[in-house]
Order: sequence, then C-alpha cells, then structure tokens
Amino acid sequence: MKRDFFRFAVMAMLAAFVVSVATAQQPHVYINPGHGGYDSDDRNVVIYPFAQGDTAGSWESKSNLRKGLALQEILQKKGYNTSISRVTNTTADDLALSTIVALCNQSGADVFYSVHSNATGTSARCNYPMVFYRGYTGSPQVAYADVLAADLEPYLYANKNTVWTSSYQIWGDWSFRPEWGTQGYGVLRGNYAVANLSEGSFHDYIPEAYRLLSPYYCWMEGWNISLGADLYFGRVGTYGLGVVTGNVRDEHNKRLQECAQPFVVFGDDDLMPVHNAEVRLLDGSGNVVQTCTTDTLRNGIYLFKYVTPGTYTLQVGSPLHITQSKTVMVNANVPIYQNFYLKSIDDAPPEVVEYCPVWHEGDPAVNCSTPIVLTFNCNMDSATTCSAFTLNPPAGGNFKWEDSYRRLTFTPEDAFDVNTLYTFTLKKSAEHSGGTPMAQDFTMQFYTQARNHLTELAVFPYEDAPVHYTTPTVELRVDSLLDTYNLFRRMRVLNSAGEEVPWNKRSIKYNKRGDDYGFVRIPLVRDLVPDEDYHLILDADIADTAGNHLPAARDIIFHAVDAGADKPGMALVEGFDYWEDHPYLGMGSNGNASCNSEYDLGLLGGALVIDYQFANMDGQIFLSYSPDWGLEKEEWEQPFVRGNKLGIHVWGDMSYNDLSMKLISPTVSGVVIVPLCKIDFHGWRYVEVNLKDLVPDNDYFLKELILRCGSEMMGKTGTLKLDDMVRGESSGIDEVKMANLKVKCDGDYIVASADTWVQGIELIDMNGRCVKAAAGNCLNVADLARGVYLVRVHINGTSSTQKILLN
Amino acid sequence: MKKLVVILALVAMLQPVCAQEVEVTSLKRLLEGVEGPAFHPVLNKSGDRLLFASDNGALKVYDFSDNVTQVVTRDYVAGNDACFGGDGKVYFVTQQMDENHLIYRTGNSYDLVTGRSAVITQPQHGAVRAVSATRGGTLRAPAANYTSSDDIGDAAWTEGSRVHVIVGGEERVFAPVDSWAGYLWASLSPDGKRVAFFAAGKGIVIIDLRGQMLAMLGNYEMPCWYNNDYLVAQNAKDDGHQFTSSQILLLKADGTFKAELTKPASMTMQPTCGGGRIVYTTIDGLLYEMTINIHE
Repeated sequence: MKRDFFRFAVMAMLAAFVVSVATAQQPHVYINPGHGGYDSDDRNVVIYPFAQGDTAGSWESKSNLRKGLALQEILQKKGYNTSISRVTNTTADDLALSTIVALCNQSGADVFYSVHSNATGTSARCNYPMVFYRGYTGSPQVAYADVLAADLEPYLYANKNTVWTSSYQIWGDWSFRPEWGTQGYGVLRGNYAVANLSEGSFHDYIPEAYRLLSPYYCWMEGWNISLGADLYFGRVGTYGLGVVTGNVRDEHNKRLQECAQPFVVFGDDDLMPVHNAEVRLLDGSGNVVQTCTTDTLRNGIYLFKYVTPGTYTLQVGSPLHITQSKTVMVNANVPIYQNFYLKSIDDAPPEVVEYCPVWHEGDPAVNCSTPIVLTFNCNMDSATTCSAFTLNPPAGGNFKWEDSYRRLTFTPEDAFDVNTLYTFTLKKSAEHSGGTPMAQDFTMQFYTQARNHLTELAVFPYEDAPVHYTTPTVELRVDSLLDTYNLFRRMRVLNSAGEEVPWNKRSIKYNKRGDDYGFVRIPLVRDLVPDEDYHLILDADIADTAGNHLPAARDIIFHAVDAGADKPGMALVEGFDYWEDHPYLGMGSNGNASCNSEYDLGLLGGALVIDYQFANMDGQIFLSYSPDWGLEKEEWEQPFVRGNKLGIHVWGDMSYNDLSMKLISPTVSGVVIVPLCKIDFHGWRYVEVNLKDLVPDNDYFLKELILRCGSEMMGKTGTLKLDDMVRGESSGIDEVKMANLKVKCDGDYIVASADTWVQGIELIDMNGRCVKAAAGNCLNVADLARGVYLVRVHINGTSSTQKILLN
Repeated sequence: MKKLVVILALVAMLQPVCAQEVEVTSLKRLLEGVEGPAFHPVLNKSGDRLLFASDNGALKVYDFSDNVTQVVTRDYVAGNDACFGGDGKVYFVTQQMDENHLIYRTGNSYDLVTGRSAVITQPQHGAVRAVSATRGGTLRAPAANYTSSDDIGDAAWTEGSRVHVIVGGEERVFAPVDSWAGYLWASLSPDGKRVAFFAAGKGIVIIDLRGQMLAMLGNYEMPCWYNNDYLVAQNAKDDGHQFTSSQILLLKADGTFKAELTKPASMTMQPTCGGGRIVYTTIDGLLYEMTINIHE
C-alpha cells in the first residue's frame, strides 16, 4: 500500500511537471478585435440594402470581432494560449486603448494582434493589406515586432477571396504617421508584447465591405493570422488540418450597382457574386464531407474549415447556374483557394434579338464606320460567338462585350470599304454561356457609303508654315462635323524638345450643327519661341460625329517667327494707324460684298481692321481712300518702281480669301495687279512681294487693296487686319516662295523641289553672272568655289531667285 | 412656513456639495531639460521619490530631495508595472526572448541605498508582475511567486478578472463585478481599509477588505489614492486608433464628487500620487508635478 502510494505520488508529480512545461511553452497570443460598440469611433460602411447605422450592415467592429474570435478559436485548436479584449460588440466592450494595452501587458502575452480593416478616408478606392508595429519602419520599439509583421503579411496577401489592387505594406507607425510624432497607434503604445496592428483589407472598397459581412471571409483572416503566428513561433508543421475556401461568381453577369452612389470595382469584382450557391466537399469515394451555402450578402464566399489533408472534389451549383466540379489537394495548415465562375442555366437556343446596322435594298447607304452591334436574348459565350462571326468581304476589327455578354459590338479596325455590299453571318455555332448553340445562322447585309474617312479641308499651321509667335492659334477643318468629345486630347503641339505646349482650353471653338464644315480652333496658352520648330500632331482617331476618322495621324512641322521684327532696308509707306476717312469701297466692289472698317491695336501700333461679308464666290472688295486715291496722294513721295519690294503685315483668320493690290501709273495706261497672299493662316504674317512686273522707268502708286472671295465655304465672312506697309529696293531675290518651292544644298548638289514641275536651275554669282545652269531640279556644284550665290529656279514659266550658301 | 423650512433644509443639504472645491496650488514641469520623454511615473508612498521609464527604455528613479536621478535598469520593458516596495526597494520585471520567440520574464529588485540590483525570480514564460506591499514587495509569477519577506504587509493586485488582497498575511480573492476582459490597477487606500481597482468595461470600483463593493466611480482608468477619501485617475478618449483627448480627474472615493485637474485637450495621462503630490505625464512624455487643495 505504501509502495503504491509512493508510485502514485511520483506519477502525479511527473504529470504535474509535464503539464506545467507544456503550458509554459504554449505561445500566448493577445487578440484585440479593433473598435467596438457601433459607436462614433466605429466605422459603418453604408451598403445596400442596409441603412446608415443599421447594425446588420457593414461595421468594422463587427468584422474585426469575427476575425478575432476566429483567430482565438483557431489558435486554441493549435495549442496556443489566448487572451482577447472583447467577445461582444457593445459600448462597454469598446475598451480604451490604454486599457487594452494594460490588459495585454498584465496577461504576459508573447504577441499582440490588433485586428482591423482600413479605409482611405478619401474618395479614392484601393484594397491591400497593411501591418503596423510601434517605431520607425525597420526599427521597432519592441524587438521582433517587424519580424512578426513580416511573417504575417504574406499570409494576408495570399487571400484569393478578394481582389487586391496592389501589394501589401509593412510600416512602423511613427514612419507611417509622421504627423503624430512618436504618439503612434494607441494599442501599440506602451505595449511590451511583440505587437502588430493589422489592416486586413480596405472596407470602404464596396465589394470588400460585402465580403466582410461574411463570417466565412472573416474566419479566413483569422486563419491567415494564425499562420503568421505559426511561422513566427516556428510551429508551421505542428497542425494537421487544412482549409478550403473560395469565391463563387457568375461567369458573365455583372455585379449590380445597388448602392446610392456608383462604386468602383476592380478585377473579378465586376462579376455578380452567386447567392445561395451550394458548395459540397466530396472525398475520394464521393462521400460528402462538408457542405456550405453562400449567403445573399453579395460576396459569394464559401468555406470548409478543418479539413483532413487529401484529395477532394469541390462541387458547386445554384438554382440558376450549371454545376461545376473541381479537384483540390488539401494540405495541412495551408489555405486552399478555389474560386468558381458559374455559367447560367438556360436551355433555350440563343437568338439575335436586335442588330445594327439595319439596311434593306433601296435604303440609304450605311456609314463606313458604323459598328456592327448584335443584341442577344441571353448572355453568350465569348469564344464561340466571336469565332462564329464572319463578314464578306472580310474586314478586321475589334469585339467588345457589354451588358453581361448580351450585347456584342464589332468595330472595324479602320473603316469599311466604300460602296461595298457586306454580308454578315453569325454561324449557329455561337453558344450561350451555358453551352447551347443557336438554332440557325443569323445573316444580314448592308451597303456602305462612298466616303469612309474624314477629309481634311485645311489645317493651320500647315507644313513649314511660319507662325507668328504670340497668341498662336491652331485650326483643323474637315468635311463634316467633328465629334468634339475630348477632341483637344487628340491633337497637340510639341516644341523641338518634344514638350507639349498646352492648349488654352477655355478658348476652344468647335463646330456646331448647321456649320458648313467641321472645325476645331484652339489657341495655345503660351507664346512660342521665335525661330524654333514645332510639331502639330493630329491623331488618326479624330473623327466626325458619324465615326469617320482621319485616314492617318499627321505630324506637321511649323516654324515660329516674329512677324513684327525689324525689316532692314525697308521704309515705311503706310502705317494704317489712322486713315483720315474710313476706307472707300472702290469701283469694282460688287453687290455681293459689304464691309465695315475700324482701327485697332495692331502688330506695330494701330492697324486697319476690316470686317467683310461676301454673298458668294464672286464677292470682292476694293479698298481705297477715294476714287482718285493713288493719283492724288501727295505724301507718297516714294513711288514704286520696277524692282522694288513691297511688304505688308497682314492678320488673317484662315478665310482662304485672296489679298492683292492694284498699282497704277500716271504715265502708263493700264493697271498692275500684284498678288500679296492667300489668307490661309491665323494671326499676323509679314508678306513681301517683288514688284518685278512693272513697266521699267515708270512710277507706280497703290490704287487699291483687293480682297477676293477665295472659298465660298470658308471665306464668306471674316476679318482682315493690315498694319505697316513698307517699301525697299529689291535685291533681285524673290523671297516669296512659289508653289511650295524648296531649295537645298548638301555641298555637291543644289536640289529644288516644288508642288509642280521644276524646269531648271541657274546659279548666279554675286556679280550677277550665271556660273552654272541645268535643266530639271538638280545642279551639280561640287566643282564651284564655296560661298554665297543666287539660285534662280524656273517653274511653270516663272522664276524664283533666292540666296544660297555653298559650304 | 412649512414650505420655507423644507427649502432651508434642502439648501442646507446641498451646501457641503456646492462648497466642495479643488484648487490647484502648484503645477510645474519636472526634469525639464534634464530628461527626454518619460512615461509610467510612480511615486512612492511618501512622495519623495519618482520612478519613471525614459523614452529610450531605461527605468529611472528621481529623488525630489536632492534632484538626483539614478538609473535602475536599461531594460526597455522595466518601466511597466515597476513599483516601490514598502521596504524602500524598487521591484521590476525584465524580459528576454528565446529562439522560438517566447518571452521569458525575470523579477528584479533594486536597492536605492546600495544601488545594486538583484534577480529575485528566474526567467519564466508568462506573466510576471511586481506588486508593492506595505512592508516589502512581491513578484507574482506562473511558476513561483516571490515575497521579499515572510511579512510583507498588505498588498493588492489583479489577475484576470480577480482582485487579490493580502491583509494580515491572508490572501483574499474577490470578483465583485463582471468583466470579461479583466481587472487592472488595484491599490490599497493609505489607511489600508479599501481597495480601488479598474474593471474593464465597468470602470473604477471601490471595495472594502471583505470584497464588498462600496462605490463605482465611472469609466476612468489608472486610479491611484490621493488620500483616504480621494483618488486621481485618467480620463482618456480615443477613436479606436489614437487618443483624441486625455485628462486627469480627482474623484471622491464614495462617488459623490468629481473635478477636472486638467483639461481634456491637455493629453495628460498616467497619474500617480504620494505624499500629497500628484505627478502625471503627457502623451509626448512631459512630466508634471501638481499640488492641490481640496476645500470640503
């Protein structure tokens, strides 16, 4: 008896020792489900169908508590010792932060998890997990708090039941909230356990708010935190059960925007979560091990807890969807995520219920940019439908699905061919999302218009155009009304460094219904830099209201100039600062024209401003002081003679009207009409002409300025401004470019190019002697001395002379 | 006439309450320019020494009589629950971590006269807490407790949702109010007749030595006895993440009077009392010494 007592006593002592050691080696985790009580310091996300303040809705305290209780349950199953700061969600349970810290310190916990979810506090939306510890990032106040965070975060981020917008973040709270100094988060302050505060996701991302309503989803965060604890304490391999979870979504139907305000969705969150989906977990023998039904709270989450490792089949179905099965391999202490995308059940063959364009023989032709739009009676399978799509003749294009795969739009890559009969067929192999094909082919035809692109009528600046550097204006004119939505984003001006010169968007002028042509006119917000080259970029997707776009993008190089710069060797003839009388509408002005004039601040002082209107293409205006102007004007002491240059500053409005002048001589009968320019520009421009066609040895005087309607569509009304007219001796060089004449010299050859036929080139030295000439547009100058010459280019019976440097 | 008598009687009854006033007679910064941020201040019973944890982790003791501060330990966590024993020693806990990240806590004492510290309980996993007793100190630990002598006098502390009281060598355990999360901050009144503690979710509770509840003073934290009739406590508010206000209150132990010693926006916290002094810190670790006059 005595011996038995001794044996019992030894065994009891040993058992007590074992229990004591086992208890002592249990990690102790203190869990703080953040917030509490549905109070003012709680976070309520108002989501349909819950009203603000409804405790059945989304509250951070509620999901935090579910996560915390799950973590407690899981850790206890895994052999941890746990403490928790609250188990209900009442005001009394919403403990002060300093109380929570003191409770943790008193408990002797090894680690402390404060479980939260996050909010941006702004209208921006995102979703990613964050973990904080006390101190600066990388320098925790309590050693290993950064290790605890690093062990936890990958498990939170591995959650595939959600949609992350970016990777996880780990912060020291002093670094994250520098404006708080070293105050930091209240539950980390003075906490001597190794402490973390985790923000598992962003609850103000509305699909996440719905997920956080799911106890399954919250439980999984508890599971993931437990995995972080296992890793931290070196206990990853000690627990023998696993978890299977996932998200059940409709493959095609989009999530409904049921909240008061439309909300942002990322990734698969745009798909409708499936309610009441029954998920079954079957073992290798086909026995149902567990079942789970998704709730009706718009999250589609299912969960199987504590699953013995092995191979299982997941079977998911709902009354409205086709059952799907997938095989999963469950491992111990590892979460298995398996999301499902269910196809809707619909046995009826799909049909095209609406289509566009609708065209029948005898109908007007269809715009070449019209997309083909098919509307079905059910949501369709994208792959089989797009592959059943045929067009004859073929045309490349892009498919776009809308309305939960019920509407398919085919947009041609460029445009359909003009004057073409297209036959479109959707073969009956097209299936709805449940796999049922169409009963028969769908066919329709349409005939296209004779026009399939937007035609550019005019653009300023055009290639090589000189543009006065102040208040520059860009204008594009096309043959139909432009679609003005975001049009200014499809065109831009770049300087030579490739930097964009911004538009003055407040001064944009667009075409409007009833205009003769489409246009957009935009000033630049800044002046240009004289003598610098610029690019005007026009994107190919500039389109009219019917969808016809430009045939190709344009890159137009133009040159900034100072039109008002000094003109050496030129003397002022007329400043247009103020005429004694308003200009006289001279003889020859016809009944198809009218004008008013006034004086305004011009480029170089006062300027004559003429507002005119033409009734038709025959309209023309002759401007002078009086019927005898020119013959009587005594102050014109310097008459024009052959070989003089005449320059004038002209402000244009891209009217495409023609400005010229009429010279008369008291000694020679007849008049000389000298073309000045076509008003194909905006802003000021200095125009200079060589008066080479005057009769020698006679004086000429300016009789009239003539403005003729050059474009009935663009030039019927407008404004013309004139400023300083100057006169100078001619160098013999005609600096007015003819037919876009360009002359270049690469050292060995002079090459001339123009819009028309170049008949020949002469090279003249500075003594006026022709040193070399050749027919055609190319002259070999390799054997000539380097230096300055004059080059005369013959084009269409006229010639143009300019300086050229051979070097 | 009868009505007048009733009114006069009511006025007479209200008079003492209305007349009760608290006057702050002095307020000054402590250790300004000498110490950095300081937290967890603890005064000894006579109020001439102050324990505090400096922001860089050291536990220090400041002597009001000679303005000398000495370092007790440089262990980061020692400031938590450090206390003066009735024997004049400082009792505190340090912690170490093993290779599996389990925290082991060691009980220590520090002799203010000799400046020597001693390990009094070996490292243990779990909660090890220093408790002040009227004639010494005790370390409450999961494996083995420590007492500074066979007769440490009276003491009070909390464990979970229990308050423990040693009176005349007898340990009594009370749970007078329900509190899921637990009790905190227990202390004996200077005359040793009452115990104040904090019950999470309920607030400050006053009991007698038989565990009978005498008063509940409201949901304030960190009560400490100013004298036998009054306590000083912290009233902190937060938004779930950080403190939004914190002030020091004076509370009458019978629950009949309450006065603000600091304003809510002052972010003052962690009060301690001893020898008529009140010391508290601020959220950024500035120590203040306050004296008050209570007009009954």
